[in-house]
Amino acid sequence: MRKITFLLVFLLLAGVNFAFAQSRTITGKVTSAQDGMGIPGVTVFVKGTTVGTTTSIDGEYELDVRPEHLTLIFRYVGMTTQEITIGDQNTLNVVLESDVMQMDEVVVTALGISREKKSLGYATQEISGGELSTVKRANVVSSLSGRAAGVQVRSTGNMGGSANVVIRGNSSLTQNNQALFVVDGVPISNANTNNSGQLTGRNGYDYGNAASDINPEDIESMNILKGAAATALYGSRAANGVVLITTKKGKKQIGGAKAFGVTINSNITTGFMDKSTFPKYQNQYGAGYGPFYGDPPYAGFELIYDVDGDGNLDYTVPTTEDASVGQKFDPNFSLYQYDSYDPASPNYLKKTPWTAGANGPETFFDTPISLTNSVDVSGGSETGTFRLSYTNMDEKGLMPNSSLKRNNFLFNGSYDVVDNLTVSASANYIVTDGKGRNSTGYSDNILSSFRQWYQTNVDMGMQESLYDKTGRNITWNPVSPTDLAPAYWDNPYWVRYENYETDRRERIIGYLQADWKIDDHFSVMGRASIDTYSELQEERKAVGSGSGEFGVGRPDVTSGYSRFDRSFMETNMDLMLRYYNQLTEDLNLNAIVGTNIRHSKTDQIFASTDGGLIVPGLFALANSVNPMRNPEERVTEIGVNGIFASASLGFQNFLFLDATVRRDQSSTLPKDDNAYIYPSVSVSWLFHNNLNVSWLQLGKLRLNYAQVGNDAPWGSLKDTYAQNNTFGGTAVFSLPSTKNNEQLRSENTSSIEAGLELITLNKRLGIDVAFYKNNTTDQIMPVAVSTATGYSSKYVNAGEIQNQGVELMVFGTPVINKDFRWDVTLNWAKNVNEVVSLADGIDNLQIAALQGGVTINARVGEPYGTIQGTDFVYTNGQKTVKSNGYYMKTGTSDKVLGDINPDWNAGLNNRFTYKNWSGSFLIDWQQGGSIFSVDLWYGMATGLYEETVYTNDLGNPVRNSLDEGGGLILEGVTEDGSPNTKRVAGDDYAVWGYGQNPNAAFVYDATYIKLREVVISYSLPSKLMARYNWIQGVTFSVIGSNLWIISKDLPHADPEASQSSGNIQGWQSGVMPSVRNVGFSINLQF
Amino acid sequence: MKKLTFLLIILTGLIVSCTKNFEDYNTATKHAQEAPGQYLFANAQVALANVNSNTNVNINNWKLFAQYWTETTYVDEANYDIVNRNVGTILFRIYYRDILADFNEARRLVNAEVTIGAAGEKAKANKLFMIDLMEVYTYQQLVDIFGDVPYSEALNIENLSPVYDDAQTIYKDLLARAKAAADGLDASADGFGADDLLMGGDIAMWKKFANTLIVKLAITLSPVDAALAKTYIEGAYNNAFAFGESATFNYLSGANSNPLYQDLVQSGRHDFVAANTIVDLMNGLNDPRRASFFDGNMTDDAGNVIYIGGVYGASSTFSQYSHVAPRVEDPSYGYVMLDYTELAFYLAEAAERGFNVGGDAATWYENGIKSSMSYWNVLEAESDAYINSPDVAYATAPGDWEKKIGIQAYLAFYVRGLEGWTSYRRLDAPVLNIPPTPAEPADGMVPKRHTYPIAEQTLNGANYSAAASKIGGDRLSTKLFWDVK
Repeated sequence: MRKITFLLVFLLLAGVNFAFAQSRTITGKVTSAQDGMGIPGVTVFVKGTTVGTTTSIDGEYELDVRPEHLTLIFRYVGMTTQEITIGDQNTLNVVLESDVMQMDEVVVTALGISREKKSLGYATQEISGGELSTVKRANVVSSLSGRAAGVQVRSTGNMGGSANVVIRGNSSLTQNNQALFVVDGVPISNANTNNSGQLTGRNGYDYGNAASDINPEDIESMNILKGAAATALYGSRAANGVVLITTKKGKKQIGGAKAFGVTINSNITTGFMDKSTFPKYQNQYGAGYGPFYGDPPYAGFELIYDVDGDGNLDYTVPTTEDASVGQKFDPNFSLYQYDSYDPASPNYLKKTPWTAGANGPETFFDTPISLTNSVDVSGGSETGTFRLSYTNMDEKGLMPNSSLKRNNFLFNGSYDVVDNLTVSASANYIVTDGKGRNSTGYSDNILSSFRQWYQTNVDMGMQESLYDKTGRNITWNPVSPTDLAPAYWDNPYWVRYENYETDRRERIIGYLQADWKIDDHFSVMGRASIDTYSELQEERKAVGSGSGEFGVGRPDVTSGYSRFDRSFMETNMDLMLRYYNQLTEDLNLNAIVGTNIRHSKTDQIFASTDGGLIVPGLFALANSVNPMRNPEERVTEIGVNGIFASASLGFQNFLFLDATVRRDQSSTLPKDDNAYIYPSVSVSWLFHNNLNVSWLQLGKLRLNYAQVGNDAPWGSLKDTYAQNNTFGGTAVFSLPSTKNNEQLRSENTSSIEAGLELITLNKRLGIDVAFYKNNTTDQIMPVAVSTATGYSSKYVNAGEIQNQGVELMVFGTPVINKDFRWDVTLNWAKNVNEVVSLADGIDNLQIAALQGGVTINARVGEPYGTIQGTDFVYTNGQKTVKSNGYYMKTGTSDKVLGDINPDWNAGLNNRFTYKNWSGSFLIDWQQGGSIFSVDLWYGMATGLYEETVYTNDLGNPVRNSLDEGGGLILEGVTEDGSPNTKRVAGDDYAVWGYGQNPNAAFVYDATYIKLREVVISYSLPSKLMARYNWIQGVTFSVIGSNLWIISKDLPHADPEASQSSGNIQGWQSGVMPSVRNVGFSINLQF
Repeated sequence: MKKLTFLLIILTGLIVSCTKNFEDYNTATKHAQEAPGQYLFANAQVALANVNSNTNVNINNWKLFAQYWTETTYVDEANYDIVNRNVGTILFRIYYRDILADFNEARRLVNAEVTIGAAGEKAKANKLFMIDLMEVYTYQQLVDIFGDVPYSEALNIENLSPVYDDAQTIYKDLLARAKAAADGLDASADGFGADDLLMGGDIAMWKKFANTLIVKLAITLSPVDAALAKTYIEGAYNNAFAFGESATFNYLSGANSNPLYQDLVQSGRHDFVAANTIVDLMNGLNDPRRASFFDGNMTDDAGNVIYIGGVYGASSTFSQYSHVAPRVEDPSYGYVMLDYTELAFYLAEAAERGFNVGGDAATWYENGIKSSMSYWNVLEAESDAYINSPDVAYATAPGDWEKKIGIQAYLAFYVRGLEGWTSYRRLDAPVLNIPPTPAEPADGMVPKRHTYPIAEQTLNGANYSAAASKIGGDRLSTKLFWDVK
C-alpha cells in the first residue's frame, strides 16, 4: 500500500511540469576529485543572486541563466567552493576538491536564513544528522551531550525521560532556561508536563520533554545558535539559545538522472546495567534500625511474638523496618520472616535461616532492548521534490513491564508552481506510547526503596514467585506478623505489574510555505506552521497497594486512578521580504523585513478518584470511593506579534556587518505597555586576507552586541481566587498564594560576544574561540515575601543574573591519505554564573525545597542553583564533634554547600575512516558541579551500603555493640580544639546517615568522564555495489553508548541522573542506574 | 515597487488585527476573579480547623509537645527538632496566608457588599463581628505559639516588612475586639447562614463563643494583668457556653474528612503511639476516659485490657503500645475549637485568683471534669466515682490549685494538642518528661514556645531580629509574656 501511495505522489509531482524558461540553459556534472563520482546535493547558484539549484543523485544539474548572469558558484559541505565564469559555454562540468575545514560552509541561521558561515559575527556550531542518528537515543536531545561547546545536556536516565539543554548557563531565575527547538523553521514545543510534585522530588513519573518526538532519522543537520545576537530575530523565546534542526529533503531530478532513492535502516540495541551506578550492598546485617526491639529479657534486634500460638514467644524479623541496621546474619539461627505469615508462602509458619537475600535488588531489572526500523523514500522531478519516511521505535526498558513505542511519519515536498514561485509543505505525525515508566523521586518509587529503604535479607526471587503465584501484594515490609498490610513498601513486582502508568501523545507538526522570487533583488517568503498535540497520562494504584500520595491534592490513598489530559496548539504565521543588491563592486546588501504572529493555547485537566477505588481493577474516575476532588483545570493562551528588520552589509568579501531590530507585542504584558524593542549588531572580519600570510588559511574576528526582551508568564497580571474542594454545600475560595502585578514590564537580556576563528596548517587545524558576557535584568519573577503579608510571593521586575564564559573548539585532521583519515574535534566550555541581585532587601530566592531538608536557591553573589542545607561546624579548620561523639551541625539550613553548575564541560570526538571502515568515539567530560544524594543521606543511615560494614580501629566489626568493641570514633575535634576520642555506636542508624550528620556530609562532586559513544561501521565497497544496479549502498554498524564511566566522585550512582528536566537540579533520590547500550544496525540504500 | 507596497500593507494589517484579543488571552477562564465573602470565610474556617486537628509532623507537633502521643521510629519531633522540617515557616504560612489573609479578604468583600434595608445592615454587622472573632481566636493561637508576631502591619502586601508587635499589647487589642463582638452581635439578624461551617449561622451561639473566648484570653493574661482580666472575665462568664455547648468544627468525608483520619488511617502509616506521660498519669488515677482516648490492643495475662504508653521521645514499636482510639480516627470526628469544658477549668482558675465567677473553684473544677466525661461518653456513675476519688476530688487531690486544675485540664484537653501544651505551660502541671535527645534550642526543657520561621530571618530580617532580642532570644526555651512562673 505504501508503495502505491508513493508512486501516486511521485507521478503527481513528476507529471506536472511547466516549461517556462525563456533564457539559456546551462547543464553539467559536478564530480569529486577524490573518486570521480558525481556529487549529489551540490548547491549551484548565480553569484550575486538567489537564482540556483542543486545537483541530482548523479551530480548533474541544469540551470537557466540570463545574459546578466556572469558567474556560477558551486558549493558543497566538505568541499572547496568553486566560482566559474559562465562565458559562452552551455555545459559546465566541475570537479570539487575535498575541503577538510569546510571554510565556505553555509549554515542555517535564525528564521531559516542560509548564510555563509564566514559572514556571521556570532558563534554557531553545526552537527550533522549522521552523527545523531547512528547512535539511537530515544530522546534526540540527549545525543547532543558533548557535541557542542557551551551546550550543557543533562539526561535523567529514566526510560523516555526528559533531558535538560542549557546553552551558556542559566539566565532566568524562575522561568524556562532551556534552548528553543526549531524544526525547518517551525518552533516546536519542548514542554515538560511532569507535575510539580515530581519536579520537586516527590513521587511521580518523568514523562519526558516534547522535543524527544523528533526522529533522529529525519535530521539532516542541527545547528546551534548560542548567543543573543544569533537568535535576536527569533525573539523572546530564543533568548536561551536555539537548536535549529533541518530535516532531510528529496533532491531534484536533473536531466533524466535518477532522483529517486529508498533507504532502509534497521537497528537493534540491548543494554546492561552499569554496576558502578547501582548500590553495592553490605551482606552481613539484616532488617532493623538498631538493638531497640522487644522488652527485656528479649531486648535486641528481633521482635518478639507468639507466632505459632504455642504460648511461647518467638523471634521474628522486625519486618516493619525498611532498614538494614539489624541482627548479624547467621545461617545457624532461624526465625520467622515476612514469608512465614502468608498461607500461600512455601515458608508458611516456618522459621528460616537468617541470611542475606539470595537474589538482591540488582536481579529485579530486565534487559532493555530497543528496535528501530525506518524506511525513507525520496525523489524529485525537475520541478519538485518529496521525501516520505516512516520510523518505528520499540523500546523495552530496564524496569519489568516497561515499554516505549514511537511511530513517526514525515512527509515533505516542494514544487515549483511557476519558475519563480516554489511551494513547499511538510507534515510530521508522531505517536508516542509509553507504558510502565519508572516512578521517580522520594517515596513510592522502587529505586527509592532499593537505594534508601530496604532489608538486605530480602530475596527478590521469593518476592517474584509470591507475586506470580498469588497475584497479591505480599510484601517484604508488612506492619507485623498479625497485620500483613505494607508498612511502607509494596512488593516491587506488584508495583510494576499492577500500578503501572500509561501515556500517549499524538502530535502533528507541519508547515506550508511559499517562496516567490519577485526579481533578482526581491523575494518573499510566507509560511504558516503548526505544532499541535494531545496527550493523555493515566496513573494507577491497584486495590491492595500500600498507602501513598496519589492524584489531585496528593492525599495518601491505598488505591486510585488519575488522568491528565492536555492539548496544545501553537501556530506561527511568518511573512518575510528579502532584498539583495550588489550596491557597488565592493559592497553588497542583504536586507529583510518581516513579521511573525504567534499564538499558542494549552488546555489541560487533571482529575483523579478520591479515597480509593470501589471495584478493584476498574481504573475509571467514576469508580471513586469519595466524590472526586475538584479537578485541576487550566487554559492558557498567549499571543505574540513580532516585526523585525535586518540588514547585512558585505564589503569585499572580508568585512561583514549585520544589524537587526525586533519589536514584540505580547499578550502577557499590561495592555498599555505590552511592546518592547530590542536591537543587535555584529561584525565579522576575515583578517587573513589583509595579513596575507601563507600559514593562515582563515583568520576571522567576530564581535557582537545584542539585546533580547522577554515577556511575563501567562496570567501574572491579575489576581484570581483559588477554589478549594466544596465543603458540604459551601463553595470554598481562597486568595492565591502569589500576588500578581499589573505593572510588570518586559525583562531584558543584553549580551556581548567576541570570537576568533583560525584555520592553519594547510587547513588541517582549526580553532574557534568565543568569549561572552550576558546579563539578564529586570527579571519577572514571583519573589518570596514574608507570609505575614498574607502571600508567599509577589510578582516583581527585579534581579539580575550574569553569565560569562569561554568556549573553545579545536578541530583537526591529524592524518589524511588515500585510505585513512583521522579527524578530531574538541569542545571545551566554561561558564561562570552569578546572581548579581534579587529584589530589594532580598538576598536569597528559593527555587525548590527538597526531601532531606536541602533547598535549591538563587543567592546574591553566588552562582544560580546553590544547594543549601546544614553544614559541619568547623573548629580550627576541622570538623567539630560534640561531647556525645557525633558531628556538630549548623543551627540553620541556609549554608551554601555547593551549586549545580559545572566548572567546565568538554567533549572529545575522534573519527577514523579506513577504506570502507569507519569508527568514532566520543568522550564527554563534566568537571565540577555539586550534587546532594538523598539516596546516601538515608541509605547510609539504613545501613544498606558496603561502607557501613568494616573492621574498626580496635580490630572488631564496627557494627559490634560498644561493649563488644564495636563502634567508631569520628574524625574531628571537640569544641575546645582537642582531637575527638569519643566512640559512638555503629550498631544503630544514628552515625551513618541523616540521623546525626549535616547535609554537607552527603554533597558530592558531580564530575564525570564518560565514554559516551563508540561506533564502528563498514560499508560494502562501491565497486561491489556497481554490479548491482538496484542497490546503492549497504552499511553495517556496531554502536555502543554510555559504555563506561571512566571517572566519577559520586558512589553507587550516575552523577548525571536526576528526576526531571528544568531548573531543579543538583539533587538525587531514587534515580535509575545507568545502562550500557550495545547495538547493531544495518542501513540499505536503493 | 507596487508589489512591495502591497506586501507592506498586508504586513501592517496582520499586526494590527491580531492584538484585540490579547486581554482575553491573558484572562483566567477557570478561576474566579470575584467571589462573595462567605466563601473566603468558610475557607479560613476549614484551614483553621485543619491546622489544629492534624498530626502531620511538618505542621502540628503539639500532641507530641503535650506528650499525649509519641513517635514510633522517627522521633525527631518528639525530641523537639522542628527546624529540620521548617515547621515554623510552615505555621506562619498557614496562619497568615491560609487563614488570616482569607478572613481579611472576607472582611473586605463583606464591607463592599450592598445591603438591602435594616435587616441587611444588621446581617452585615454580624458577619463582620464573626470575622473579627475568628481572627481574634487565630491571633491568640499565633501569640501562644511564638510570642510577639506581626499584627498591626500584617496582611498588607504593600508592606513587605511588617513589624512584630508586643504580645501583651496584641492580647489587649484582641480582648477589646472580642468584647465589641460579644456586645455587638445581634441574634435577631442573619449572618453567613449555612456557609458558616463552625456554627451554621447561629448568632446566639456566636455570642456565647465571643464571651467564652474573652474568658480564655483574659485568664491567660491574668498572671500579668489581673485587674484587666478580672473585669473581662466577670463581665463575660455568665454569657458564655453552657454545659454541653461548644464550637466544634464538624468534618465530613473524603477531601473534607478530619486530617487526623488522613494522617493516621488513610496514610497507612504507624507513626504514633500513646505516650507514657499521659498513660501513666491516667493509670495512676484509674481514669475511665482511657477506653475513649486509646484503643484496647494490649491485654495483661488475665486478658484484661491494659494501657501502655511508649517512652516519650524514645523509639517505640507500634504493636507494643496503646494507640489512638477509633473515635478520634473517624473521618467525621469534629475538632473542638472552644467548649464548656475549657471554660469551666478557666473559671475554676479565676475563682482561685479571687474573681467573682458565680461559683467556687471546686464547683467549676468538677463541672469541667463532668463535661469532659460527658464528651467522651463516660457513664455518669464512673464519672462520679472518679471525681470523688481522693486523688481527683478537689479537696483531697495533692498539690496546689495550679497542680489540681492543671492535671485535670490537661487530661480534658486530650487530642487538642495546642490547648494541652498551653495549659501545661500556664500551670506547670502535670510534670512532663524530658525526651532522650532534646533539640539544642530547647535547652533541655519542654519547649516554652516555637522558634520563629527561618524564612523570616531572610525575608523580614530587621523586624525578626528586633523581636527575637525583645522576647529574650529566639529559643524554644524562651518563656512567653504570660509565663511568669
